[in-house]
Amino acid sequence: MTLQNNMAKNQRGEAAPSSRMTGRERQMGGFSLLLESSDDEGPEEVTFEDSKADARRSMKRALDTARREKELLKEKRRKRQELFQEQKKRKLLSAEVLEEIDSTKQEQSHVKAEEEAEPEEVEGRKRNWKQNAARNLKGNYTVTTVKQSTLASSQLKAAEDFLHSRMYGPGSRRTTSNEMLSLENKMGKNKSAAVQFVKKNWACQKKAKAEKLKKTWIHMQQIPSS
Amino acid sequence: MGEFKVHRIRFFDYMPSAIRAMAFSTRTERLALARADGALEIFNFSDNYFQEKVLPGHDGRAVEALCWVGPRLFSAGLNGEITEYDLENLRPRYTVDAYGGPIWTIGVNSQGTLLAVGCEDGTVKMFEVLKERIQFQRNLDRQRGRIISLSWHPSGTLIAAGMMDMIRIFDAETGRATHRLVVDRGAGASKSKEVVVWSIAFLSDYTIISSDSAGKVQIWDGLNGTLIRTHLITKWDVLALSVSQDESSLVAGTSEGTVVQFQFLSSTVDRLDKDWVRTRTFKNHSHDVRALAHTETAVVSGGMDTQLVVRPLLDKVEKNTRESAIRKVSFPHRSLVCCAKKAGVLLFQFPDHLELWRLGESDGYGKPGGSLPVKRGPEKLIQLKRKGEDHICCSALSPCGGWLAYSTVTSFRLYRLLNGSISICKVSKLPKDLRPAHQLCFSTDSSKLFASSSNSSVVVVALNEPECKYLGTLKAKYGCRQPVHLLSASENGKWLATANTDCEVHVYNLDKLKLHCTVPVYGSCPTAMAIHPTTSNLVVVHADQQIFEYSLVKKEYTEWSRRLQKQGLHSLWLERDTPITHVTFNPKNPAHIIVQDLFMFCIIDKSLPLPEAKNVLYNQMTLRSLPEPDRVLHSHGFKICKDFQHLLCVSLLEDHSLVVVERPLLDIVSQLPAPVRQKKFAT
Repeated sequence: MTLQNNMAKNQRGEAAPSSRMTGRERQMGGFSLLLESSDDEGPEEVTFEDSKADARRSMKRALDTARREKELLKEKRRKRQELFQEQKKRKLLSAEVLEEIDSTKQEQSHVKAEEEAEPEEVEGRKRNWKQNAARNLKGNYTVTTVKQSTLASSQLKAAEDFLHSRMYGPGSRRTTSNEMLSLENKMGKNKSAAVQFVKKNWACQKKAKAEKLKKTWIHMQQIPSS
Repeated sequence: MGEFKVHRIRFFDYMPSAIRAMAFSTRTERLALARADGALEIFNFSDNYFQEKVLPGHDGRAVEALCWVGPRLFSAGLNGEITEYDLENLRPRYTVDAYGGPIWTIGVNSQGTLLAVGCEDGTVKMFEVLKERIQFQRNLDRQRGRIISLSWHPSGTLIAAGMMDMIRIFDAETGRATHRLVVDRGAGASKSKEVVVWSIAFLSDYTIISSDSAGKVQIWDGLNGTLIRTHLITKWDVLALSVSQDESSLVAGTSEGTVVQFQFLSSTVDRLDKDWVRTRTFKNHSHDVRALAHTETAVVSGGMDTQLVVRPLLDKVEKNTRESAIRKVSFPHRSLVCCAKKAGVLLFQFPDHLELWRLGESDGYGKPGGSLPVKRGPEKLIQLKRKGEDHICCSALSPCGGWLAYSTVTSFRLYRLLNGSISICKVSKLPKDLRPAHQLCFSTDSSKLFASSSNSSVVVVALNEPECKYLGTLKAKYGCRQPVHLLSASENGKWLATANTDCEVHVYNLDKLKLHCTVPVYGSCPTAMAIHPTTSNLVVVHADQQIFEYSLVKKEYTEWSRRLQKQGLHSLWLERDTPITHVTFNPKNPAHIIVQDLFMFCIIDKSLPLPEAKNVLYNQMTLRSLPEPDRVLHSHGFKICKDFQHLLCVSLLEDHSLVVVERPLLDIVSQLPAPVRQKKFAT
């Protein structure tokens, strides 16, 4: 009878701690006392409430960690934003200058508003904007429309670029007219020098550069000697 | 003979434009050529390869392909438009937008009823060829990738289209793409780049021949869609293909400047077992060959080096005759330089602007052949940029240097030059009859302007400030439709001679403003003409190098002209391959006629005997070495000077000095775009 009661109590989870403890003891004991067999004992009984509480606890823990992380992130972001604001403030003009400009702007608009005989609000605003815009332009400026490149002309340009890249682009293994003509000079019946030396007005920039180099070299040669 | 002070001019920076496409019409024996700046040129292959017509270019008209449909000429370009040209008025007749993006290729079926264009968006669009226009019919199946080249099968049922990395065969009736032929990419570094099938040809036995950017010419079976043979002909791109009419010969043009010929031959004597075999290689160009045409007897090629080369095939023409010689056309067959004889001012015509230069001066005296010190150098007075997008068609400068006129296909402008041609002002009030002209000419006293108009008529305008008065229109006889390309006014202001591309020469009496006479038609087109100041004889030079002198007063050929025709011109004179572009006279000696072509200028002395066939034609050097009395025995009437080369203009000023405008070919070649790099041994 008591055994059955015990068993029932066990089922109800009253004797659970003891059985658990004994289970733990048994486990710990299991390492040292191999002789103790756990075959006779019944399985551990975990009551429903216990597991519910367990689950609730773990969920709470998870939520807590998530909340903490969020707060940490928020802090980081706030700090960074503040840093940027500060940097921006440093870049902009000082507050006094801004105030001054602001005040003049308001004066202007006030003056304009007084002068105008009270057209609609929209116009007034427009005029202000225009006035401000006009004031910002200094010197002689003219406004012209840019020639609108149509779809056809952009496609034409793209097609020409394709052709050009296939024929003269990378990997096309091309040389210059100068080289080609110089080769002809070298291999022709009357062998002569490369074309940039034969023709007077060829490679003017190169020749000018060479002249300059020559002059600086001579100059440098003269300095140590003098 | 004559001693002249020569102004030797080399500051005309004439730069021709690269040849982009060409099409040959077997029916009319005409070759149409499209250049990179949009200009179109028509060459008459049956008249000594004379450049008959030039249609000026247009900004943004990037012509990629040309096509003849009977007598009509169509072009398609990267601006997405198909243009039909009016060859009688030298302007585009209309344009049709294909709405497919840039158009890369155009082809007509053998019946001449349908025009197919290959577009950037991957569609092949079919247009019906109607009497006065073309009309969009339908699109074939749209492909993923641009259509670079296409070719109709002679039956008109199939179309082969070359794209990127592949060739597609379309059924022309259903529009479905039936076969897909995959083209191999190049080896090595080019494996990562897509291969472009630049050109394709569909033969009547269903063979397709394609050329691509990997340097291959491939032969495919069009019915099964399989590759038969590959020929690797170059390391660079093979840009153009052309098949002969009888499909026995094929030429391929490469980026190296070579043209390779393939012929359909059999290795054994019997007719079976024929195959496409590589036969000849021509290297006539220094830069890429982008356009090819295979005529019955010759291979015509053109490309980035701007020269048109006609290479007769020696198995079709007789060897060592004039027909078998190679022909190179490097300069236009018309004058781009106008010389104001009284003012010493030159006008240079460029496609997009005009330049006015004053000649330099020199005081010294020297020996023949020596150069004189220049006291004051030549100076550029005015550079006039054209208005609008059309290129300049023709221009003229009055002999006094006070008036300047130019015309494009859409507009005509007249300017007054003041203060010794330094300041310029536009004449705004022009008579409305003065429409865009093909040729312009000022009268010698600078009082009238002649502008050629449609139907071979000429509009005469009196030059006054501030308004120019319309004087009248000189009309040719009914039925003349071709444009006038030569205008010549006599010095006394009485006569005006016009020549059109139909070989008709009309002479008008300017006092009565009526037709005076028509010179008997000669089979070859006139290339230059002028009216003698004192004798009023009209000298006309033709494309086949014949010279005629016609008396306007008596309305018959002169005695000298008859003598010349009876004896015939010297064979070396007839073998010259560039036409005479300028005829002028010597005020000091009325028996002289000065003619000029690209490589020489010649003073024809009518008082001396004509050269016979056995005489040496170019005898100036030998005569100089002979003692005085012997010279008279050996000299003949044709005195040719070849000291100045690539002549664009030779003119005689009032102070009896000669103006010679040269354009050395080396100057042009040095400004061409990059050629391919070829490694040569020991360089």
